[in-house]
Amino acid sequence: MKKPPATIDGLPAWGPSFRPTVVGRPTDRIDGPAKVAGRAVYTTHVRPPGLLYGAIVRAKVAAGIVEGIDLSPATKMAGVRAAIPLAEPGSRIRFAGQDLAAVAATTPEIARAAAAAVEVRIAPAPFVVDLDAALADGAPRVHEANVAERRTEGDDPTEAAAKGTVVGNVRPLPAFVTGDVERALDRADVVFDATYETPVVTHCALEPHALTVAWDGDDAMTVWASTQSIFSVRDEMAEVFGLAPAKVTVICEHLGGGFGAKFGASAPGSRMGYAAGALAREAKAPVRLVLDRREEQEVTGHRPSSRQRVRLGATRDGSLVAIDVLAHGSAGIGTGAGVGRNAAHIYTRCPNRRVRAHDVFTHAGPGTAMRAPGHPQGAFALELALDELAAHLGKDPLDLRIAHDPHPVRRKEYEIGRERFSWDARRAAAKAAREEGARIRTGAGVAASIWGDFGRARVARVTVTVARDGSVAVRNGVQDIGGGIATVLAQVVAEVLHRDVADVTVAYGRSTLGRSVGSGGSQTTSSVAPAARVAAEKAKQALFEAVAEAVGVPAAAVAFDGPSIRAGNRVLSFAEACAFLDDDGIEVTGSRGPTASDLPFPFPGGGRAQIGGVQFAAVEVDTWTGEVRCTRITAVHDCGRVMNPKTTESQVAGGIMMGLGYALTEIRHMDPTTGRVLNADLERYKLPGFGELPEIDVHFVPVDTPANATGSVGIGEPATIPTAAAVACAVFDALGVAVRRLPITPDAVLAALSREEEAP
Amino acid sequence: MMPLRLVRPPDLEAAGRVLAEHGRRAVVRAGGIDLLDRWKEGIDRPDVVVDLRALLAGPDGPGLASLTADEGHLAAGSLVTLEALAEAELPPAFAAVRQAASSAANPAIRRMATLGGNLLQRPRCWYFRHGDLVCLKKGGARCLAAEGRNRYNAVLGGGPSYIVHPSTLATALALYDGDVMHAGAEDPAGRIPLADLFVTPDRRLDAEHALRPAQILTAVRLSAPPGLRSGYDAVRERRLYDWPYVEAAAALRVEGGVLRDVRIVLGQVAPVPWRARAAERRLEGAKATEAAFAEASRLAFEGARPLSDNAGKIAVGRGLVRRLLHRLAEIPLPA
Repeated sequence: MKKPPATIDGLPAWGPSFRPTVVGRPTDRIDGPAKVAGRAVYTTHVRPPGLLYGAIVRAKVAAGIVEGIDLSPATKMAGVRAAIPLAEPGSRIRFAGQDLAAVAATTPEIARAAAAAVEVRIAPAPFVVDLDAALADGAPRVHEANVAERRTEGDDPTEAAAKGTVVGNVRPLPAFVTGDVERALDRADVVFDATYETPVVTHCALEPHALTVAWDGDDAMTVWASTQSIFSVRDEMAEVFGLAPAKVTVICEHLGGGFGAKFGASAPGSRMGYAAGALAREAKAPVRLVLDRREEQEVTGHRPSSRQRVRLGATRDGSLVAIDVLAHGSAGIGTGAGVGRNAAHIYTRCPNRRVRAHDVFTHAGPGTAMRAPGHPQGAFALELALDELAAHLGKDPLDLRIAHDPHPVRRKEYEIGRERFSWDARRAAAKAAREEGARIRTGAGVAASIWGDFGRARVARVTVTVARDGSVAVRNGVQDIGGGIATVLAQVVAEVLHRDVADVTVAYGRSTLGRSVGSGGSQTTSSVAPAARVAAEKAKQALFEAVAEAVGVPAAAVAFDGPSIRAGNRVLSFAEACAFLDDDGIEVTGSRGPTASDLPFPFPGGGRAQIGGVQFAAVEVDTWTGEVRCTRITAVHDCGRVMNPKTTESQVAGGIMMGLGYALTEIRHMDPTTGRVLNADLERYKLPGFGELPEIDVHFVPVDTPANATGSVGIGEPATIPTAAAVACAVFDALGVAVRRLPITPDAVLAALSREEEAP
Repeated sequence: MMPLRLVRPPDLEAAGRVLAEHGRRAVVRAGGIDLLDRWKEGIDRPDVVVDLRALLAGPDGPGLASLTADEGHLAAGSLVTLEALAEAELPPAFAAVRQAASSAANPAIRRMATLGGNLLQRPRCWYFRHGDLVCLKKGGARCLAAEGRNRYNAVLGGGPSYIVHPSTLATALALYDGDVMHAGAEDPAGRIPLADLFVTPDRRLDAEHALRPAQILTAVRLSAPPGLRSGYDAVRERRLYDWPYVEAAAALRVEGGVLRDVRIVLGQVAPVPWRARAAERRLEGAKATEAAFAEASRLAFEGARPLSDNAGKIAVGRGLVRRLLHRLAEIPLPA
């Protein structure tokens, strides 16, 4: 057994013996009152003087060559202040919605009318939006040359870069291979072989992509952005306009959702940053660009589709000997249709494992990171295949998982879930209803997630100030994607300085408040909270030194005594102690060092801890109508030391709801004949609603992960990985036949049942 | 920008005059639900909007907003809201109307949406609603759904357009004999049988009903035989606030142990509310049994011709009809 490090960043670890008083307590989010009262300022609320409204002219065809763009019909319109091309004659159109030009005007209505007036000539070309059609010989090619991979902070930093060559519309991703899968399949007693499909789904943040740019002279600008990475916006704008990064101030006080599609100043399929900045420069006035829902659905990214052939080999007594996944998926013109890590890295007691994934290019907007890129797709296929194999072998699928998963925490989580969820009783009830051919069936399923501690060293610089009047403040440029990092900052500082959360003022959401991380890879808390602790500990030290000097005792004789400070024989209130400070008070900045430990179990690739997480789903299915209702999700997760159970539980519940949409309701429909998205709105693109909301039981397994000075690990992404897989497994349990394609709609259920009836 | 003239007429006669004067350049606004959607989607750009809600303050207001019902009759003005229908205490004969109204859209929309607007709303087909695409119903050469993605399109009665009628309320109303009252410059007190209100695309492509542009739907009057009971149910992909994937309404009465006056209407499967006449015939005079309902539910989709993506509506719809008949006739559903 490895020993945990004694100190982290020079501080005693918040290990098992640490008894926090603020951290780990359910704490109301500090921005809650502002949000519910409508006081919270979002990007689209900001109105700098002279604000103009931008609109982007977009391609209405999926493929072609631009022959000409005439801006003059727009520039002649009253109220239009700027118009710029975003493509030129000869530019290739690769998806409907691609940028062609942009305009800015005094009202949004004029801007839209001006955008519609821009005359664009495009010579259309053949296109392909369907995965099968893109794979066919002679399919129209999406890319003529090799494709540069576009990566964001939303992508798994340990994932190897793809170097494969594009053949036709197919580009292989780095394969994972261990052992000899073919040989093991040849020798296996039982081989299970099935193909699974997942649709393209979209992020659907309620707040659309939005950006307001105000130039301040020629060499500086202020940018209000709806972003999950303030500093990636700053760096992109600085690079695009040749500015010093320090001359770009980016502000995002509150964010209405990101989910992976809001890194950088631009949307994945639209150069919003350049457009807003260039329009503002030309108009000599601030310009706001806000995408509408159709644009959101067409150009701002999506979770790629997948088709996965899963082959499993097993011995008759239920030992897995081979896991093989061959996957193809489409991220439109973009890259990143891999299928995550469930097949490769969870069931590692199976000695032969192989995952070969491929990007298949289609003439659709680019996919991008979406809450655990690749993972929900991979989890769905592999976990449902495991259940189908288990049924074939007559094994309990929960036992099958535990038997092949060495992760000590996930194994414990399975056992906790088994009890909390009444797994055995639910499985028995499902079996009884199935065997009697009941009209209403119930089912129970379980699935696993794998994620890593991707907290980053030396990025977040958190500043803590203590004023002579005893007021305490913490600041960092981090955005709050919704996980509640601002509240965690206050908690960590309050913990170290023995204050209440309400005593700590938090400033965040602005690039001038100190470098920070983007909210991707579930890394915000574990990157920022430790830095806050380091800064707060420095502030504490400085305060103790001031007290020691004033009282005339050695610094070592100063210590907290509850909310008070004891200095030798004297007991001072916090305010009395702060009165010893000079007028400038204390202002100290901290950052965290490299990940100190991969305990309790390593993430593949080394150097980081692997976290687990399992979810159990119960469903009820009407076999006459095919309606599926998820009645309960029991989620058992670990994320090191939970900083704020209230917001963490809420984040897991959000991930579960997102997973339920993936399981039951969501799919982007593309028209093969026009290349357009047919349900580019929230009416026909069906996000789950309150009707889908099951009873959600979230349980955290506290894990001593001495990875950083707070022991915190992110949870945003793992929370959504296993949900759809668990629901699909539960539907399989209910029906005795699997629905191998998401979403599991009523017609899909009845089709699966009728296939079973037709089978010999 | 969409400059337009908003007319707030004092009475139906004035409203009719404005409509007659402007023809197809004018539209009426009631709840404004579908109209606003069509504006936003760029598929409707009227020059003149006649706001029927202005009539509520005038002499025609009481009639347009009135809702009355007894055992065998229901009369509703066209400005009665879905919320009012959903909350009304209606006799068992008209339970389907209440159930349909209360399941449509969401509470906020039901508060604004009107009976007339609901019946005369335009199709929700995603090709029709796409501002950049020109489908058959918008003057194009062909039905884009027929050769494209048609998961939500018609399996019955389609061609040359394959829209489905979007009105949930219409599915329930089609259970009854009745009349639709209309006003307008040409015919101030007109009426047509309810059964003739909705027209299939082989007869008309520019609208889904038989009224002319200058005619204003003012009321619906329904009648029901004594002892009738009725019900409505739907299967949705999302349980709340979603267009049904398939919906059904049924009415029947039990007389001397057999079923009488059986009516079954399918919604979201055809360009008009679809009477499942073969299923009705199978049950008329029959005993209410599990076997009879199973057979009737199969017959409900007799003649269905699915497109590439929508055969699922048939299987789901059969299960739905079967479940609804059980509930209505109080034959216990199997577990």
